[in-house]
Amino acid sequence: MKVLESKNLTKWYGKEVLALNKVSFQVDEGDFFVLIGPSGCGKSTLLKVIAGLLDYDGGELYIKGTEVKQIPPHKRDISMMLENYALFPHMSVYDNIAFGLRMLAKDRSEIDKQVKESLKLVGMEGFERRSPLELSGGQRQRVALARAIVVNPSVLLLDEPLSHVDYRLQRKLMEELKLLHQRLGTTFILTTHVQEHGLSLAETLMVMNTGVIEQIGKPDAIYTRPATVFAARFVGDINLFSGEVVSKRNGRYTVKTELGELQASVEGDKDYSGHKLAYGVRPEAVILGKDAAQCENHIQVKPINTYYFGNSVECLFEAPGGVMLRVNVAPEAATLQTGRESVVGWRAGDAILIEKPSVIEGLNIEEVIYGK
Amino acid sequence: MTAQPSGKTGSPFRIGRYYSYMLLVPGLVISAIFLVLPLAIMTVVSFYTTAPSSTGFLPIFTVENYFDFFTSPQTGTLLLNTFSLAFIASIICFAFGFPLAYFLTFHIKSRTLKNYVITLLIVPFLIDWSIRTVAWIPILGKGGIVNFALMSLGLIKGPLEVLLFSRNTLYLIWLQTYVVFMEFPIYLAMNRIDPDLINAARVLKAPPRRVLYDIVFKLSLPGIMAGFIFVFVSTLGDFITPNLWAGGVQTLGLSISRYSNNFLWPYASVLSTMLLVIAIIIMYIAFKVVNIKKLFYE
Repeated sequence: MKVLESKNLTKWYGKEVLALNKVSFQVDEGDFFVLIGPSGCGKSTLLKVIAGLLDYDGGELYIKGTEVKQIPPHKRDISMMLENYALFPHMSVYDNIAFGLRMLAKDRSEIDKQVKESLKLVGMEGFERRSPLELSGGQRQRVALARAIVVNPSVLLLDEPLSHVDYRLQRKLMEELKLLHQRLGTTFILTTHVQEHGLSLAETLMVMNTGVIEQIGKPDAIYTRPATVFAARFVGDINLFSGEVVSKRNGRYTVKTELGELQASVEGDKDYSGHKLAYGVRPEAVILGKDAAQCENHIQVKPINTYYFGNSVECLFEAPGGVMLRVNVAPEAATLQTGRESVVGWRAGDAILIEKPSVIEGLNIEEVIYGK
Repeated sequence: MTAQPSGKTGSPFRIGRYYSYMLLVPGLVISAIFLVLPLAIMTVVSFYTTAPSSTGFLPIFTVENYFDFFTSPQTGTLLLNTFSLAFIASIICFAFGFPLAYFLTFHIKSRTLKNYVITLLIVPFLIDWSIRTVAWIPILGKGGIVNFALMSLGLIKGPLEVLLFSRNTLYLIWLQTYVVFMEFPIYLAMNRIDPDLINAARVLKAPPRRVLYDIVFKLSLPGIMAGFIFVFVSTLGDFITPNLWAGGVQTLGLSISRYSNNFLWPYASVLSTMLLVIAIIIMYIAFKVVNIKKLFYE
């Protein structure tokens, strides 16, 4: 059952800025749907359009089968947690949460019961009489969440809920959001510009880029089979080289790149023969040391630098021709010294072939790969 | 707001904690000489005895003036007129000032246009008070444009004098004079309202009128209170405008000017002192009802 459907949704800011360019997608009931993309890609605009805070200029938007163009925000079956939480400074925590219920003209005892319940849900019991101004960032966020949930919407919109708290709190809130989603069964639509948040929270992930959808799918599907260079870049880290398919044998392609001829075996029926495309490999798929030489693809590289992350180490190598290669390995595997020659390799099955730079037409794939 | 660090590496203009109070001295001196001292003298004189002397009173203590004030049959009417005029004028200024501030804050998007509108609102204050006031004569007077129009349309037979001389005229002129004192504090308070608070209320099921009341109105209350005080106090003390246009309505201000013109200083002082006391009490109650401290946030 789809709870939300967008058909060719278009939104202009003035006459110059096209914030949403014919955006079409649908969200199933009970889904945890995450919009991910860089700042200015239109994800917040999309959320505000769904909420009714912004009007749209073209296309159709259906919430539970009803076109909502003429329906004001307070009559839509949605609720939203805004990016800066927007707690009412002149009301107590209790009154903030009760606000929506009062607007729905619920009776006193019902309001009291539901406010208490939602405070318990976010672990903020006993804070009823406090002013939002006395709360920490994390506490404010919980109150904002409780306030959005308490009106029991069919769709809960969360605009960058994790962006204003520190790392530890982000992790905690991510867990709690997931648990909350499981308990309530409400459809969640969340925006984020942080790929880790998107990947780990989403049941369905939608990658956006300046007003268009790059890819929609399960997070692991997008990670392993990105549809465009943009999606590959935005979801996880990737080494990309521009290349051209020179031959195909037994489902294995040979791609001519600046690193020489590289092998790639790709699932699916798609035929890449003769195409200019992007050849990619994720940093964690690259192997160091003597096993590397056993792989279908292996090259001589020079270590440049290492970045220690505790649970992993990222090594930066320079391949012949000045091409940089990122490799992500376990800390114990990273016993290399700068300046020494080394061999890295990866299996043909770990390679990713991407034909399109972006869903935006007219972009040169090489420019997109080496653009930044 | 975060507190300033009190380290030694501050700005070179930092002054010692106690010396900083020195900054208050000029203001305090001015206030003492031109506000506190005259008010003190006024209060003292209100207890003096009226007598045929060069000053009009003799320094002999008496409470008779106050006795006269509280027993005079006119006092009640005087107080009622004065405070009701000022109160209604404040309400009228609010009724016009609030929508104006709302429009200015939420509907004019362009900064340039906003500045133009604000300038237009200030322009009347660059014109002399007497000209502004007299300008109403050709509009509302016997041969004025309104009477002329009404007569031409056949709605009235002769010119209406009540147009120019009545309580309503007074309100109109006060509105013209004081609406800006209501409008600007409200505008400033509204300007500080985070638009996302309005968005939050809208997605939390608030229909437009509730957004207006629960969010915009309540968060503008500090500005509304400030505007109310400006208009209330100004109209309370204004005796020239009522004298000219109110069509014979008696107010405290008018009485004070009449008594002082006749050198009846002690009784004029009683009226002034009582006006001051009652005004302070009203302000105090107003601040109690609307807890202004709670309203200022950040």
